[in-house]
Amino acid sequence: MTNQARILVVDDEPQLTRVLRTGLKSRGYDVRAAADGLAGFEAFNDWHPDLVITDLAMPNVDGLELCRRLRAVSTVPIIVLSAKGEEKTKVEALDLGADDFVTKPFGIDELLARVRASLRRAKAPATNEATQTMLDSGDFHVDLETREITVRGKSIHLTPKEFDLLVYFIKHSGKVLTHRTLLAALWGGNYVEQNEYLRVFVGNLRKKIEPDAASPRYILTEPWIGYRFDPDQTI
Amino acid sequence: MQRSVLDQKWAGYVAAALSVGLLTLLLKIVGAHVNAATVSLALLLTVLFIATRWGSLPALAASILAMLCFNFFFLPPLGTFTIAATDNWIALLAFLITAVTAGQLSASAKRRAEEAETGRLEIERLYAELRDAFERASHAEALRQSEKLKSALLDAVTHDLRTPLTSIKASITTLLDEVRDTEPPVKLDAESRVEMMEVIDEESDRLSRFINGLIELARIEAGELQLRRRWGAVEEIISTALSRAEPITHSHRVLLDVEKELPGVRVDERAVSEVVYTLIDNAAKYSPVGSTICITARRSGDELIEMGVEDDGPGISADLRERVFDKFFRATRDGDVRSRQPTGTGMGLAIAKGIVEAHYGKIWIEAGRDGKGTRVLFTLPIGDDDVIEEPRYTTATVEAQ
Repeated sequence: MTNQARILVVDDEPQLTRVLRTGLKSRGYDVRAAADGLAGFEAFNDWHPDLVITDLAMPNVDGLELCRRLRAVSTVPIIVLSAKGEEKTKVEALDLGADDFVTKPFGIDELLARVRASLRRAKAPATNEATQTMLDSGDFHVDLETREITVRGKSIHLTPKEFDLLVYFIKHSGKVLTHRTLLAALWGGNYVEQNEYLRVFVGNLRKKIEPDAASPRYILTEPWIGYRFDPDQTI
Repeated sequence: MQRSVLDQKWAGYVAAALSVGLLTLLLKIVGAHVNAATVSLALLLTVLFIATRWGSLPALAASILAMLCFNFFFLPPLGTFTIAATDNWIALLAFLITAVTAGQLSASAKRRAEEAETGRLEIERLYAELRDAFERASHAEALRQSEKLKSALLDAVTHDLRTPLTSIKASITTLLDEVRDTEPPVKLDAESRVEMMEVIDEESDRLSRFINGLIELARIEAGELQLRRRWGAVEEIISTALSRAEPITHSHRVLLDVEKELPGVRVDERAVSEVVYTLIDNAAKYSPVGSTICITARRSGDELIEMGVEDDGPGISADLRERVFDKFFRATRDGDVRSRQPTGTGMGLAIAKGIVEAHYGKIWIEAGRDGKGTRVLFTLPIGDDDVIEEPRYTTATVEAQ
């Protein structure tokens, strides 16, 4: 056993919890399962897991409510299991604080990749944003004071808004960011419905940072949901 | 619409002049037999006629014309507009006042009647418009509801297909990773390996059951379910269902309460036995291990047999007792029934209802003994020789769900 990170699986489908428990244990994780949001929240309080994987549609307390309750007391990474067609609920879960989602049916490797990424993000040393002046993430190097950016060693010029957007992406690398979250963070609460602003700026940013803007590798689109930034993608 | 000549405004004045003139002529011809009172009454009638037909102004003109004619032709001295006797002055004045007043009153009555009629027509028009608008709105609402229902059904079906698929895919990829020597290596012990394979086996069965249920429901809804109705014994139907349900009831106590000497029933035994099995399956799934499941059968009146299955589970609240017969509705997921047991396909009760109704029976849910648990009851007509051997039928009620 190498990882020993503790993972709480919350799902009302006993077969799926059986599989996830065995699948995750076989990779060295310590796993507990709960059959609904209520039991999941109780297990969280008793056991303090490093990561929570939760289904959305459950009896009693559902996945959305569980996200809300967990975010009120903790910053534990949350991965949501959802079905295709549940985009609205998925966005709601991400807005409520979920970090990532996996669409059913999924292979265990896809889930494990998301688990590793979430745990990595959670383990990254906390930085004091007020005094932090440099950001280093994958192919990106950002000097927050001089507002200079290099991508793959090449200096690029960004407008102030593009700069803010890229810095926000880098600070939330790997996490799925909904349109609403990005708009609220960069333009303010009155602009959360203005998806076209985002499309324009993401388009411009891609032209400047992506090797091929038509098939982006850093700023990945999550259809109907938002974007995910992966700083490690190289050609 | 084009107005007729008689409806023109000037026609009223012409009619007033003509009718007063003609009446005066007529009265002059029969002059020997009429007195002043008769003349004034006749002229008054003419004024009333003009008023009701053409309104107040032609009536006023008719009144003045009638007064002049009355004076000129009938009040002495005749042929002049002068009046000799004082009482004739009074008669003439009284005539004029009566004619004008009566004319104006009938004209105003006519106007009010016309206004009322216009109002009525306007209300009728508005009502028709409103009704059309409501019809359009309710049609649009029905379409919207139907689309919503379709999308909800599609969601339910895809969820039920995807959930077992997810377990199967996650199990298989875990097993494959072990064989493929991935990094970090996957460590599965023999027990975990068997568990993964068991999950694949069970979830494949679940998918298969779900698909069979879908086919059965589609048949019922399309009216293509063929019943083979033959005379059979209720005890035999229950016994078939019970032996099939043995693997799922071994941890429950099963009680039989079947009335003695029940008459035979003319039903499709396989289909009715499926209904009983579904009810036993539900009872076993949603009631605690070790609790009692009671299967009953008795006569209900001269023409019906009532069968039922009762459990000691958490029960189904009154507001959900109709909805559990809707396809894909599950009290454990969509309702408030708490259970740690795996949920069913959400089709069992819908299919049971389809089968019972195809036999012209009824199925419903009550609370169990002492208000606890669930009792599902259904009736079957004892049988009718006139029913054709293998009827094809439609089950409109299932479609209506």
